[in-house]
Amino acid sequence: MFLAYLISILILAAIGIILAVSLQLTVGFTGLLNLGHLAFYAIGAYTSALLALAGYPFWFCILTAGVLAMFFGFLISLPINKIKKDYLALATMGFSFVVYAVLLNWTDLTNGPLGLAGIPRPQLFGFDFSQNSNFLLLVAIIALASYLIIKLITISPFGRVLESIRDNELAAKILGKNTFKMKMCAMGASAFFAGVAGSLYAYYITYLDPSSADIMQLIPFLAIVIIGGLGSLEGTVVAAIVLTFLPEPLRFIGFPSSIIGAARQVIYALFLLLILIFKPKGFYGKVKLE
Amino acid sequence: MIFAQLFANGLIAGAIYSLVALGFSLIYSTCNFIDFAHGVTVAVGAYLLYFFFSLLGLNFWLSVILTIIFTGLFGLLLNIVVFKELRRRKASNLILLTASFALLIIFESLILILFGADVKTIGYIQVSRGLDILGAIITPLQIIIIIVSFLLLVIFFFFMKKSKIGKAMRAVSDNKDVAEIVGISAERIYNWSFFIGSAVAGIGGILVGLDQNLVPTMGTGLMIKGFAAAIIGGIGSPIGAVLGSYLLGFGENFGIWYLPSGYKDAIAFVILFIFLLLRPQGILGKKK
Amino acid sequence: MINLEIKKLNKHFGGVKAVDDCSFEIEKGSITALIGPNGAGKSTVFNLISGIIEADSGNIVFSDRDIVGLSPDKISNLGFSRIFQASSLFDNLTVENNLFLAFDNEDTKFWKNLLGFNKATKIKKEKVKEMLDLVDMEKFRKNPAGDLSFGQKRLIELIRAIINPHSILMLDEPVAGVSPRLREKISKILLKLKEEGETILLIEHDMDFTLNMADKVIVMEKGIVIAEGSPEHIKNNRKVLEAYLGE
Repeated sequence: MFLAYLISILILAAIGIILAVSLQLTVGFTGLLNLGHLAFYAIGAYTSALLALAGYPFWFCILTAGVLAMFFGFLISLPINKIKKDYLALATMGFSFVVYAVLLNWTDLTNGPLGLAGIPRPQLFGFDFSQNSNFLLLVAIIALASYLIIKLITISPFGRVLESIRDNELAAKILGKNTFKMKMCAMGASAFFAGVAGSLYAYYITYLDPSSADIMQLIPFLAIVIIGGLGSLEGTVVAAIVLTFLPEPLRFIGFPSSIIGAARQVIYALFLLLILIFKPKGFYGKVKLE
Repeated sequence: MIFAQLFANGLIAGAIYSLVALGFSLIYSTCNFIDFAHGVTVAVGAYLLYFFFSLLGLNFWLSVILTIIFTGLFGLLLNIVVFKELRRRKASNLILLTASFALLIIFESLILILFGADVKTIGYIQVSRGLDILGAIITPLQIIIIIVSFLLLVIFFFFMKKSKIGKAMRAVSDNKDVAEIVGISAERIYNWSFFIGSAVAGIGGILVGLDQNLVPTMGTGLMIKGFAAAIIGGIGSPIGAVLGSYLLGFGENFGIWYLPSGYKDAIAFVILFIFLLLRPQGILGKKK
Repeated sequence: MINLEIKKLNKHFGGVKAVDDCSFEIEKGSITALIGPNGAGKSTVFNLISGIIEADSGNIVFSDRDIVGLSPDKISNLGFSRIFQASSLFDNLTVENNLFLAFDNEDTKFWKNLLGFNKATKIKKEKVKEMLDLVDMEKFRKNPAGDLSFGQKRLIELIRAIINPHSILMLDEPVAGVSPRLREKISKILLKLKEEGETILLIEHDMDFTLNMADKVIVMEKGIVIAEGSPEHIKNNRKVLEAYLGE
């Protein structure tokens, strides 16, 4: 009983790690305040769910989910060069709203607010992942792979250019870097992994509705990125695990379920706010926020 | 006639957005960061009216006045407790923005915890039969919304042009350093901006609350529209913010001539995206 | 040989003409200094050349090509390198990484870097060491650039600009605010670069520094070029003395 509960939280933590480290790539490493991360996640989740329901194999669904999310990541970064940094936050947040509206209203495709039910658990090379314990293994492997790829990006000279854009974009341009292309790549790569995370979530939860794209749900991941420390992937992983477990005791205190969700948001957001004020480098970050 | 009805709906939407856009534009131009908490300020306004009028049973006009004052104070409090503290620590405008996003979530969730997630109605004005004007059905309240919004804009412009505080606000938004040299305290102006901007948002919340239902997340959508309107109109220009609001209101309402009404939010964003791509400085904004 | 030619360049901000019908030429292998009082439009000229702001009218011709309207990164890649008046180091990166960024643009290729085909070569490492030795800062190699002192930052910016491939080096007040000892050091470096045949365009307020260093001096006032010629010529120009040296 407790083990099953633990496994279900660990699965969510692993999916959270993928989402958070990919968000870190844009926010922490490139300095792009991307508030549309959950839109990419939802695009991935729905793409994957629809394909899986149509009978396509797991590897195809998860890759298509990532690629389609990446495509939207590229699309959303088209005006990135002309707008001020804080407008990007607004544009990406607006994008999140649009995706939510489309998921809710394109009923022929998404089944609207009723959502998509009966998403099959994946099968791969003859393995069946319908057991949560097996599924945890699959998610953990993909989370590890995502982490390593993003780590590889950030420690490579490519990541160094991303960081230079975060620190001083004009100086990076003056050294000859095509910062527009770089920012687009960062957004695309970040969206790809968000799409992958969405795909895994759809497979895990087996039932999907538009609330996965709700902008409110972004706050835990934004909190993880800032609390873990901008520019620190290790900190992000630790924060993702801690913050997934942190509000769990609320479940046992006996709050009505409608309040638990809101209370959880308050805890995350309050934690984020206190970190911003009192420990702006986060717990593991090296990067100053100024 | 459909055209007249869509036109009227556009007018009402524009009137509401302009109240949100105006407050946002004021705070953005003086304090220089995007304040996402402005969204929840609208909801705070609506729920305060619900609290004073429907729960406490106070006189309606007294409730309205209390609501406007308390919403203004709410904004002021956020500025003093959170933003001022962050500025003192030399936080960048992106950090202020992130903090305001956290505040948005905190207060939306608190409203939900305190009042519940179910839809609330204030119910002061009984649902009355709409008036038929040139084929469009408009309720008396909606006419009041348009008039109040218009009056408020006029007052706002006079305030910014003539009053001492209004002039000081424009000085700070033009150039903070120069303003401080001539003896204007920027922090004091930030306080005023938050108080006035939030009070205006509170009035927006009251009007929306009377016209529609109350849900805790009601402010976020309005905020996105209001911000988009301010950017479309040209940040820092109050006239631009109003123009942008009506453009957005009409754009959305004529847009659903072709699309299902659920796509309203999407239309606003597409208009914003086109502007960011082709004319990021907005209609009236100056190119840098 | 003429390397860069500015022709009738104009730029106004609101009602102010920051650069007014500016024309001058820069010879290859020489040091050209741009001087003038504050607000004369010198930095604006630099920003116009770098493509950070776009000219209202006029041409900037570099090896037979008009570069007006190109983006800063394209202009940089054509052969321009510069430092700014204010520090433009990447504060959260190490000194060494600030320098590695300057070599080429191979690091902007996603797959090549991800798959590990863009390792720091021995040549690059040696160049970094050589440049750090030149300014005696080898021991700060691993420090975050943001932690350096003002003078140290200027030195790193200077060598970063030198590493960045270029045919024209543009220096916006390289010795402003640094100690006399450091100024000596920087002027030695610049003279050495000149010996090696570098083309340098310089903005500087320090008259002694400028007049000792430059082959040609261009004097600007209120956006207009009021005089140009050798340092000797400029020292004795009455107009210049009135506008600038008089006080």
